[in-house]
Formats: sequence, structure tokens, C-alpha cells
Amino acid sequence: MYLYNEFDQTLVNERVEQFRDQTARFLNGDLTEEQFRPLRLMNGLYIQTHAPMLRINIPYGLLSSKQLRMFAHISHKYDKDYGHFTTRQNMQFNWPELERVPDILADLASVQMHAIQSSGNCIRNTTSDPLAGVCADEIEDPRPYCEIIRQWSTLHPEFSYLPRKFKIAVSGSPKDRAATQVHDIGLHLKKNANEEIGFEVLVGGGLGRTPVIGQTINTFIAEKDLLSYLEAILRVYNRFGRRDNKYKARIKILVRETGLDTFKEQVETEWESIRHGHLSLSNEEIQRVKSFFTPPNYATSTNDTLEQHLANSGLFRQWFKQNTTEHKQTGYRVVFLSLKSPSRAPGDVTNVQMEQVADMADQYSFGQIRTTHDQNLALTDVKTSDLYALWQQLEKQDLATANIGTITDMICCPGLDFCSLANASSIDIAQGITDRFTDSAIDTGSISLKMSGCMNGCGHHSIGEIGILGVDKKGEQWYQLTLGGSDSHQSKLGDRLGKAIAKDLVVDAIDDIVHVYKSNRNDNENFANTLQRIGLQPFKDKVYDAH
Amino acid sequence: MTLIKNKEVTQDNWHYLIDGQALQTSHNIVSLSYWMENKADLSSGDAPLGLLVKGGEELTNFVNDLPHFSLIAIEFPTFADGRGYSLAKTLREQFKFSNEIRAIGDILPDQALYLTRVGFDALELADEELAPLALSKLDEFSVFYQPIHSAE
Repeated sequence: MYLYNEFDQTLVNERVEQFRDQTARFLNGDLTEEQFRPLRLMNGLYIQTHAPMLRINIPYGLLSSKQLRMFAHISHKYDKDYGHFTTRQNMQFNWPELERVPDILADLASVQMHAIQSSGNCIRNTTSDPLAGVCADEIEDPRPYCEIIRQWSTLHPEFSYLPRKFKIAVSGSPKDRAATQVHDIGLHLKKNANEEIGFEVLVGGGLGRTPVIGQTINTFIAEKDLLSYLEAILRVYNRFGRRDNKYKARIKILVRETGLDTFKEQVETEWESIRHGHLSLSNEEIQRVKSFFTPPNYATSTNDTLEQHLANSGLFRQWFKQNTTEHKQTGYRVVFLSLKSPSRAPGDVTNVQMEQVADMADQYSFGQIRTTHDQNLALTDVKTSDLYALWQQLEKQDLATANIGTITDMICCPGLDFCSLANASSIDIAQGITDRFTDSAIDTGSISLKMSGCMNGCGHHSIGEIGILGVDKKGEQWYQLTLGGSDSHQSKLGDRLGKAIAKDLVVDAIDDIVHVYKSNRNDNENFANTLQRIGLQPFKDKVYDAH
Repeated sequence: MTLIKNKEVTQDNWHYLIDGQALQTSHNIVSLSYWMENKADLSSGDAPLGLLVKGGEELTNFVNDLPHFSLIAIEFPTFADGRGYSLAKTLREQFKFSNEIRAIGDILPDQALYLTRVGFDALELADEELAPLALSKLDEFSVFYQPIHSAE
């Protein structure tokens, strides 16, 4: 993974001191709340329902064991012994004290981490495929390009006061595991007819109040032009994006109101004037960054012991089938660590679990951990002969729930329990669904369920095969259901099932939906295909007639 | 009002033309609308002239007139409105404007460094007591991922 040099480290250290000064001035009354707000947000600090919330960047979802141990340390020293992984591969702490945040940032800097631009109206952490570098279908490893984008966007003087937040995701495989089509910019690595590396560039995707699937603005931008093209898009957005209404300030609205063709013309006129300047990437620079992402030293591994354990243990077999996936290197598997155990809120992890996972990463997976946009973790380089031992350790830590990709592996925002924006709670609904489906999840098959406590959509409900959106109706919590969304390479927004449902009936309604699917599916037909074949009506009939 | 230039507090020799008042003999900063109405008169002499534009001003409205100006003042309606940054950067990089670009309006000391990084070489602070803080903020970072504008 990328390692800071003296330059990178100096920058992060200086940022810590800058924020220490800003926090002190705010506490002294020298900065007003209004003035401090954008400054603290650009350091990942929100003021939430109970306490500040600190969001820490995990660049493109890649962590070293040392960094994960630091999260464990921070959660213990400054918070309540746990942390929360987000859909954008980041870490959130829900209970730090404002006065101590500068110390947390200093601890983070000591392991090459920071919270720079993890919120605020600026360029956020660049996210990517959690299987980058290890999946067999990869065209090119996206991580070096993510790092190049990270450096370009960090403390960018021109783009720190944008109309609204700005998110970039990069995918290197035809199968999109980074939800690139619902990002402000989505980048798909491609090779042209001459085998040169470049990107298809999508623009204007996003969730929230007005969910939009991104559109292709250019089918092939050469790798050397990556930063100049991004800068051109950002400059057009910064100049022309709406600032009169924060709900219309995202780039998706600008693209819609301007029209894609005109927007493209503006961007490419801008691009022509800067593309041969200092942002043009040299081959040396690209190779320098790529040198940090070479494959680890894989050993030869035999499957003998694995076959034996698979034959002997049904529980291990179930976990293997559900929570591991193929690796491009023979003798290795990718292992997902489920953070959707029935005993914790989705995405939450304790300090003890973090320490144990760090140890397991050192022992079994070259000391690295990935975070996924589904709010799970992955150890991506595990020898097949180590799988049984690893599974036993994961079981002890409650990280081996065999539910990856099933209905209980749901995406969920913190909701009304923590978030000051939320209209309704998410965690208790998630708990109800987990309780109802834990025993039948594997049999029910692959269903993506995504839930948000308000229309800002942090839980990605619009692109869930089953989406649940919390709404406020005269002070009561109600839930709007959608079916048929997708975050795959052909992303799609879900269709509304009907009127919102009262809180105490939500789990029953989900049960009805699953029931209709199971009684209509052919053989191994998945939920999305059954829905497409039979349409919404049978689901509507069942859910609304029953209540 | 206090003016920061070249990392120090400097005497300001410029005057903003206030509606209804007479022009000074030299170093007037005029609004874009005043310039459009009085272009012929204003461009006749050799006296240095400045132009005041809003951060969100459309470039095409004045970019052909740049040779007339010794100073462009870009106004920030609120410190959170970042359009002025792109305007300054574009003037420096694409239009090679090498005279003074001044930031005025709602700017925070904490923004001083970013403003200078995109090409502002003068910062006008409403509260002169904030000048020492703004000056100290100019040295807050010693390293940058983004190269500086290349107008010089």
C-alpha cells in the first residue's frame, strides 16, 4: 500500500496543528459557530445529536494492521470502545469530545491517517473496489489512480468551498463494486485498441433527495489526462453549480439543468486550455505510485486440508460458500468479515474486534484489511490452507456470520439514534429484520437490502433491491419501501411499492416481500430477476392487502 | 480595512468609486457596470485603473478588457462561496493576468493561504485586528500537492 514520504507526513502534521489552533480559537470564542463550521467539517467533525461525530478517511478502503490497531486505540481512549464503518469505506466515531479531537488527529497522523475533507463542501475520500488487485476480472488496479487523485484533491486550494460535497469512485473491473454510477464522478478503467490505459468518465450520479444515475461524459480519457480532466469538471462545477439552494447544489442538478452536451462542451473547452499544463501525469509519476501496489509475495498452497475441513464441518462449509470468494492467485481466497452479526448494529465494530482483526491480518493476509461499501471488512489474500483456522478465530470474535450478500447483510445508516438529520430510526428496524431472517437468510438467497433514516440517503436505499426510507409523518416514524434498485454495473433506482408503512409493520412487510419472491422464483432465480419477470403488483397486493 | 500584500500589512493606494461620488485622479476601482457605461472616458488616460467583480461574474463579460486594468478586485459575498477562487485561478493561468488580484468581502484569516495559492496577491480584511492572524496563516503549510499558478 502507499507509504507516506517526508512530504506527505509534513502535510498531515501541519494539518493537525492547524486544526488544533482552529479548535482553540473556537473554544475561546474567537471563531463563531458559523465560521468554525466549514473548518471543522473539512476535518470530518460534525456536531450530532449527542456529541460530535468524527469521520476518518480510509483512502480507497485500504488499511494496514497498524492503522486498524490505532482505530482500536482511539475508540478505547476517546470513545465508547467501538467504531462504525460507513458506505464510503470510512470510519466514524460517535462520541469524541471536541476538545480532544486535535489529539485524535495527532494519533492518526502517527500512522499516516487523517480526516482531511471527510466532510464539508469539498472533494471527499476517493473510494474504490474492495477487491482491487485481487479479483480475476480486473482490467487494471484502480488503487494507484485513487492515490494520485487523493494527493491532487487533498487541501486543494481552489476546490475547498464548492457548492456542495463532491465524491469520486474508481473501478478497475467490469463488475462495479464501488457504486461508481451513483457518485459525482465515476471512473471506469479501460484499455483502448492500442492497449493504453485510460478511463471512461461518468458524471452527475448521486443518491440523496434526487437520486440520479451518472452519465458518460467521455468514453476514454488517457491516464496522463486524468487530473486535468477532473480539474476541468471541478472548475466548471465550482463556477456554475447552484449556490442558492443546498438541495439543488450537487453537480447532478447542474448537469441536468445545463444538459449533458452543453456541460461536456464547457468541461472540454476548459480541459483543452489546461490539459498540457502541470497536471499532465508523467509516466514516471504513475509508475512511482504503482510501485506501492505490487502483488504480495504469494506462496504455493495446497487445497488438501481445505477439502477435508469442508467435508467435515457443515458450519465451515456454509461460511466458506457465503463469505469467501475467488482470488486471481491459485491457492488463495478473499475472505469477507461480516459486520452484520445479530448482536451489533450494521457496520459497528468493537475495539477488541479491531485488535483481533489486525492480528489476523498480520497472521493470514499480509497485514492488510479492506473496508467495503457494504459496510463489511475483507482479508483479501488468505491461503486456502489457512481458511479453517481463520474461520475459527473469526467465529470467536463474532465476525463469521455466514450472511454476505443476503438479506441480513444490509446497508444501514445510523439513523435517528445518532444523526441530527434523520427522520426515523434505522438500527431498530435492522435489528427486527435480522431477528426475523437470521435462520432463513441463506435459503432466501442474494438480496441487497439498504435502509436510510432520511431522504439524504446515506444508507443508499434508492439502489437497494429492497430499499427502506424513513420518513416523518406528523412526528411519527413511517417507512417508504422501494423494490428493484441496483448498484451493479448497470445501476438502477428502485420503484416505489406504495404508500409509507407504519413502523411496527415494516418487518412484516419485508417478510411479505420475501414470501412473494420465494413462492414465485424458478429454481435458482434471484430476487431481481423474479421481480423483473412478475412485476411489482404481486408484491403490492401482498403487502397492502395484508394490512 | 487593512490590506495584506507580500506577507505584510501594506498601505492601500486604491480607492473604490462609491456611487454618486467623483473619480479620484488615479487608482480608482470601478464596478463592472460603471466600467461598461464609461469605458471610453476611463480608458483615455494612463492612470492605473482597477475593476471590481463578484466571484461569480461571468468571465466573458470583462476578459477582453483585461489590458485596461492594473488591478482586479474579486468580491466574496460569503466566505463559503468559492467561485472567486476559480475566477482568480483562471485569470492567472489561462489569461496570464499578472497585475494585482485582490480578494475583498467576507474572507476569513483561515482562507488567506488558499487565496494566495490560487493567485490572489492582495487580501483586504474588513477587521484590521485579524491581520496578524491572517499573516500567520500564510505560513501554516510548508508543502502542497498542487503546484502554484505559473503567471509569474
